[in-house]
Amino acid sequence: MALNDIKEGEGKSFVGGTHVPHYKSYTDSIAIERMAIPDEVVVHLSQHIGAPCEPLVAVGDTVMLGEKIADADAYITAPLHAPVSGEVTAIEERPNAEGGETMSIVIAAKGEQDAYQPSVERNPDDMSAEELKEAIRDAGLVGMGGAAFPTYVNINTDQPVDTLILNGAECEPFLTCDHRLMLERADELIKGAEILMRCIGAKKTYIAVETNKLDAIGVLDEKLGGRDDMEVVPLAVKYPQGYKSYLIKTITGRDVPRGARSAALGCIVRNVGTTFAAYEAVVYGKPLIERIISVTGPTVPDPGNYVVRVGTKAEHILSECGVDPDELDGAKVIFGGPMTGLAQDNLEVPIVKSTTGVLVLPPEMVREDMVYSDCVRCGLCVQRCPNWLYPNELSILAEHGVYGDLEDWDIWDCIECGVCAYVCPSNRPIVHFIKRAKPIVDEL
Amino acid sequence: MADRLIATPPPHLKAGNTVSEAMRDVIIALIPVSLASIYFYHYYAAFLLVLCMGTAAITEIVVRAALKKRHTLGDLSAVLTGLFVALLMSPGSPWWTAVLATILAVGVAKELMGGLGWNLFNPALFGSVATIILAPWFGFLSRDLSRLNVNFGPIDAISQATPRAMLMQGASLPDYGTMLLGFPGGALSETSPLLVIIGGAFLLYRGHINWRIPVAMIGTVAVLSLLAGGDVIYEMLTGGLMLGAFFMATDWVTSPINNKGKWVFGIAIGALVAVFRFGVGATEGVAFSILIMNAFVPLIERLTKHPSFSEPAPKPATEDA
Repeated sequence: MALNDIKEGEGKSFVGGTHVPHYKSYTDSIAIERMAIPDEVVVHLSQHIGAPCEPLVAVGDTVMLGEKIADADAYITAPLHAPVSGEVTAIEERPNAEGGETMSIVIAAKGEQDAYQPSVERNPDDMSAEELKEAIRDAGLVGMGGAAFPTYVNINTDQPVDTLILNGAECEPFLTCDHRLMLERADELIKGAEILMRCIGAKKTYIAVETNKLDAIGVLDEKLGGRDDMEVVPLAVKYPQGYKSYLIKTITGRDVPRGARSAALGCIVRNVGTTFAAYEAVVYGKPLIERIISVTGPTVPDPGNYVVRVGTKAEHILSECGVDPDELDGAKVIFGGPMTGLAQDNLEVPIVKSTTGVLVLPPEMVREDMVYSDCVRCGLCVQRCPNWLYPNELSILAEHGVYGDLEDWDIWDCIECGVCAYVCPSNRPIVHFIKRAKPIVDEL
Repeated sequence: MADRLIATPPPHLKAGNTVSEAMRDVIIALIPVSLASIYFYHYYAAFLLVLCMGTAAITEIVVRAALKKRHTLGDLSAVLTGLFVALLMSPGSPWWTAVLATILAVGVAKELMGGLGWNLFNPALFGSVATIILAPWFGFLSRDLSRLNVNFGPIDAISQATPRAMLMQGASLPDYGTMLLGFPGGALSETSPLLVIIGGAFLLYRGHINWRIPVAMIGTVAVLSLLAGGDVIYEMLTGGLMLGAFFMATDWVTSPINNKGKWVFGIAIGALVAVFRFGVGATEGVAFSILIMNAFVPLIERLTKHPSFSEPAPKPATEDA
């Protein structure tokens, strides 16, 4: 099918999943803007999968924008850089989005706060694959779609990986930051893809976009101009289309068995935001000090897609968008999308490298009463589970503490996408039961 | 800072479907055939419908109170079970059999099994079949309570033989069109196959039932009737086949969850119905067939369990000897 004929909703897909209203119109036509820099940032020392960083600065030190402030010796980790110029005022535990606390470097912004000035101006074509990977590691890149796995570790494969998939599915409702990035930064995104292809030795890149973003599909297709090594793949609008295993299966037809490594699959999936960051890291030496997030919700006065410094607190983000934090009684403030994002009760929590958005659900959209009833075996969760599990059995076993049987029902394959709980007519908190049971099953 | 931000776990969105909405739709789907039964059986049908639904609600309240649980009338499942029991009754049934069937359905088959979701057997079928089996033991009831029987006057429709009995005895039935549209003689729900099918189509359209069970079940009965030399159309249009296929065998709680399991379940029920009708010469066997297969659901579930998406593909046979 020719790309310009494709209509909204059409496209390839996977078996399972469900349709969720998009709620994307609040921000999908608003161009990316810079948000005012906050007076204080809180940089978590652990905001990636892998070893937490150790601070390289001390309280009282002056730091410059983009200066490396923390790193670790481990292989699986990603260094941190100062998101603002200023003074380190504290290194202490600060609240995180999971409801706990994380050791953090607190920096008070001081002096002139400019946009990032390139430290170098490099042509990727003049650089070796090793140099490209170094630049990506030094910039502290992690998966920006939510996974937060260090990008360097992901692309540092010893065998070539023939296929790169750029994940622009953005299947979570409300979020539009990847959509706007594909529209407004298409050239840089394509150059970023070329960089990643060289790092992993890929022959082909597929840019995966759901067909509720036809404008982005059009722009990317035009920019690619029919080249052989890159292609836009329109995907059906279905949640959770953007999960990497389902993208690989949908696009390449390859099976993704549990525990399979990217190299073995011959396929690596990277979020479009990460790919853009790779471009900036390689060409300008720019570390991951800021990212695009969607600030959205039906009652947000100034919703939009904003470039926000890592470590900016929810409080600042909301007030910059016209939300009065005192008028949020009964509302939800969610980091990420509404299907998997975590609701916050403390607006001091800062965004991290992998935060995709800040969503405000007004009280009328909040399901406050968590009353649920027994499973009536309607089968909707089994039908819709994208990982072909039996969420009904998992939820019943977890609810009643029959932890020993959970592995037989493949609890570890659950990606916690939330589809089961979304469709459950008995309102059962299935994902919550599963998440709560996982650490207990792990101990068995 | 806001005093009261809500921080419950994800997902934060919810599809609008609820159990009570589904139960409400099933009740709506049964309204046409209920009206047909009132059309044919007048007060006899209306009385049974009201009696069973009322008894079902009271039974649920009483039994759950005895179990120290809050009543769940709001999910409409008790009232729906009462409606089903009434529709399974013959119009001339003594009132106490209707009450007993309803109490067994809601009180025993559902609530004592742990409540909605935990029952192994379809409650309405359990209640009415158990009552048929138990009735001879309760002869004293029909004797002592007969004076309490309500008499709504004579109606030909309730004294005539049921269409199934007529078919078995080789008596001639009205033409296919009449049989499809509506012909009295059987249980309340057997008055109009067409209206039952319309109700079933409504449930399919609303997504509450899966097409595989009715197709497998009706298809199997059709094929086996043909092989047995029966009149396929009459076999389709008489007895409880349509109600069983669209409303009883598709019950969420008591049917398999998998598509594969639904096929197995539907075909097995269809085969049992044929055995009852042609093998043992019973006038009817739909209710028994479904109840028997209800008992096999846990086994069917185990045998039809599909592997996880992440299950490694079976390794190809090694080449070296």
